[in-house]
Order: sequence, then C-alpha cells, then structure tokens
Amino acid sequence: MTPNGRSSRIRVLVAEQAARRGGRVGVVDVCTAAVASLPVGGAGMSAMSRTTASYPLCSTDGISEQLEELQLTLGEGPCVDAFTHGSAILTPDLRTGELQDCWPVFADAALETGARAVFALPLQIGAISPGVLDLYAQVPVRLNAEELADALAFAEFATLVLLDARIDATGEPPDDGATKRHIEDLGGYRAEISQATGMLTVQLGVGIDEAFVRLRAYAYAQGHRLTVVAADVVARRLRFSPDTDPTRTDEDT
Amino acid sequence: MNERLLAKTFVELADNLVADFDLIDFLRLLTDRCVGILGASAAGVLLADRDGELRVMAASDEQVRLLELFQLQNDEGPCLDCYRTGLPVTVPDLLTETARWPRFAAQAQLHGFGAVQALPMQLRDDVVGALNLFRTTPGPFDPVGTPIAQALADVATISLLQQRSTQRSTVLNEQLQTALNSRVLIEQAKGKLAERQGIDMEQAFTALRRYARAHNRRLSDVARALIDDTEPLAGLAS
Repeated sequence: MTPNGRSSRIRVLVAEQAARRGGRVGVVDVCTAAVASLPVGGAGMSAMSRTTASYPLCSTDGISEQLEELQLTLGEGPCVDAFTHGSAILTPDLRTGELQDCWPVFADAALETGARAVFALPLQIGAISPGVLDLYAQVPVRLNAEELADALAFAEFATLVLLDARIDATGEPPDDGATKRHIEDLGGYRAEISQATGMLTVQLGVGIDEAFVRLRAYAYAQGHRLTVVAADVVARRLRFSPDTDPTRTDEDT
Repeated sequence: MNERLLAKTFVELADNLVADFDLIDFLRLLTDRCVGILGASAAGVLLADRDGELRVMAASDEQVRLLELFQLQNDEGPCLDCYRTGLPVTVPDLLTETARWPRFAAQAQLHGFGAVQALPMQLRDDVVGALNLFRTTPGPFDPVGTPIAQALADVATISLLQQRSTQRSTVLNEQLQTALNSRVLIEQAKGKLAERQGIDMEQAFTALRRYARAHNRRLSDVARALIDDTEPLAGLAS
C-alpha cells in the first residue's frame, strides 16, 4: 500500500493532459483530466474569496462555463455552498424538491443549461481556500467511493497548481517541469507544514495563501523537501523576513 | 480505576456531543480523559484519510514531538497494525518490539514511553482510525482498562458520525476529508499564534481552546477568525 498512490496517479493524468495541450500544467489540465477519468460531462473552476470578487478560471465546455457564471452571478449554488462550508457538495440529481428550496434560482437555471448532476469540491488546505472545482453530468449520477476519492484528489492537486501559478508568475524557481517537482513533493501530510505556514503569516506579514506560496517557493528554490523546510521553521532554525532572504540559525535548540 | 470518575467522564463526553459541537475540540477532551482515567501518559486519535494514511486528529499534548510519533506510524507501529487488522494491539514493553518496529520503538523510547496500546475505531465493516495510548512505565495493561479504552475509541467514532449527521453530506469519505481539513486549519492557527506570542504549539492550542470555550465558540471558527484577521479576538491575539 502506498499512501500517495492516488495522488501520484492523479498528477500523472493531469500532466498527460498538459502535454497533449502542449503547455505547462495548469488548472485547465486538472479539469480535462477529471472529465476524462470520472463519469462527468464537464468541469469548471472558479477563484473564490471572502474579501474580493470571485471569478471563473476555466471550463471544459459551454455548459461548465454557464454553470460557473450562473453561480457567481446569482451568489447561490453548490460551488457557493462548498466554498462557504468548506466541504464537498454532491448533487446527484438537480431535479429533486429540496434542492429547489436550497437554490431556487440556480437549480432551474442549471437544468436549463442541460446539467443534471453537479459536484462542487472546495479547493482547500485548512484556511487556504482559493476556489472551487465543479463537475457536472447531463444525467443523474452518483459518484462511488473510489470516484469521489479521485475527485477529492483532483481538487487537492488543483489547489497546489493554482497556488504554484503565483510562484511561476513571480519567476522564482527555474521551472524545468511543474509535474516533476509536484511529484517530488509528495511528502504526505505533515502537521509541520501547516504550522510553519501559520508562522510565516506573522514573519512575513502576509495572508495564509501567500505564506504557503512563499514556503513552497523557498523549498523549490533551495531544492529542499517542503517537510524539511517546514520542520526548520517550526524548530525556529529558519526565519523568513519581508525584506531579506530567509535566515538560518543553525544552533539547534 | 475510579468508577465515579469514569461515570462522570462518559456523562461529560455525552454532554459535549451537542448539535453544534467542534470535532477537534471534542476529540482533544477525549484524549485528555484517556490520560486522566486510564493512567496513560499520552493519548492520540488518528484518522485514516481517503488513501489510508493515518493522520492525527487530536492529541493529549500538541507538542510537535508527540505529533511526529503518531505520524511516524504511517510507516510502522501499533496504529498501522491496528488499522490494517481492525484488532487491538497491546505492547506492555516496547523493548521487546525493537525488531518488529525498529524506528517506532526507538522514537517512542526516546520520548520516554515504555508501553503502548492501539485500539481500532470501527464503523460497521470499516476501520476508520485508531486510539493510541502511551505509558511511560512498561508493564501489563490493566485488564479493566482495555474495554474502557475501547469504549472511548467507540465514542470517538460516534463523534465522527454525529458530526456527519449534523451536516448536509451523507458520504463518509467526504466527511472524513472535511474533518481532516479542520485539523489542518487548527495547525495553521497554532503556528500563527505560537509565532505571534512567542509560545510553543501546545500553549497555542490551549490558548485557542480556552478562548473558544470562554466565548462559547467553536474551536475551528476561532482558528479561522485568527488566521483571516477578521476579528480582534481580545485576549488571544494581542
């Protein structure tokens, strides 16, 4: 049993889509890979925020595009709920009575686009929640346990791709293949990564998303594993500063 | 075994399973009571994620060192064996298991632990995690204590179900993922508060929890407000 088997497989599927498209791994590749491997007809993603306006990032087809825009315009729907509650909102069939009460406008409008089942998966790592991945099908469908686990893994990877795009945008690490480094990064979940991220918000005076991006950027640039860098921050051997490069104090405490 | 204390504990746990309870806060209470009534030196609740990796949901001490000892068991150790078999694993003397779990046994001894027990958290046919108890002194576990520890592991499982029924989702897999994410949120908040106040991770957790209790708030809501800087949180994040 390899705990990260699923994550690795998902990353490879996404990388294949990027190669086919002839570009570097982006959120659109997560969407196309999800559509190729799950019983859904399309996928879309929106950037969401509590403080600034939300906006659609990408979609695989016209229906997905309409679903994203509908929800952001109406301010209701599964992706809005997934973002607000921080949990996946699984709707195997939009044509059920109670949903019409939850989303009185969205439910009918979505059915009109041709969507019948909608699954909204939050992109999140604790308080870091940059958006939502939406999947839809034109027939009623229920995701089984394996499919749901895959869908959650796609959302997890999308979160990293979306955040890493900010590193690429500032040109920090020499990028010889996003996928390679993502796969190297499979250290599994470690509490220190989250603790270090929280600590960096104070050291750098930035929000939690930015703190996480900076932690990862530093690990890439140094060629270190994220878990090692995080452990150094938590042990207070490594300190970040807004104005200068991170400084090491190697006296082990 | 103090029976009055035991009865009081179960009443207390039941009282805390109210409609809007906080899962992490509840599981921490449970691990604290494991230490209090079972004479354990440390206790933790581990939950398997969707890929079967064990992750710490709560521990009687939030120090990084102890969390590492739980995490290490994804490679080897009593929790991994318990999770895979669904059976309790009891080791009265860790020195006898250095061949079975070389890394885990060495690390546990380094922490000053001499005995360990892992009890399955079982939900119908699925094992979803384990309750892990450590003792400093080697020696046989109290035969009366083990069924009580298992009962506490069952309470931990019930709390997951309870959490699940109070939310919309009816899919266990997804619900566990949401629970694990709330643990990540707590870790981020611990880091922020520890750095800001110059305190350690356990002190940061205790401060967050004390604030939540004093203000009748959910721990994860307080953690979120701290990270997002949306509230002054007087007395916590000065």
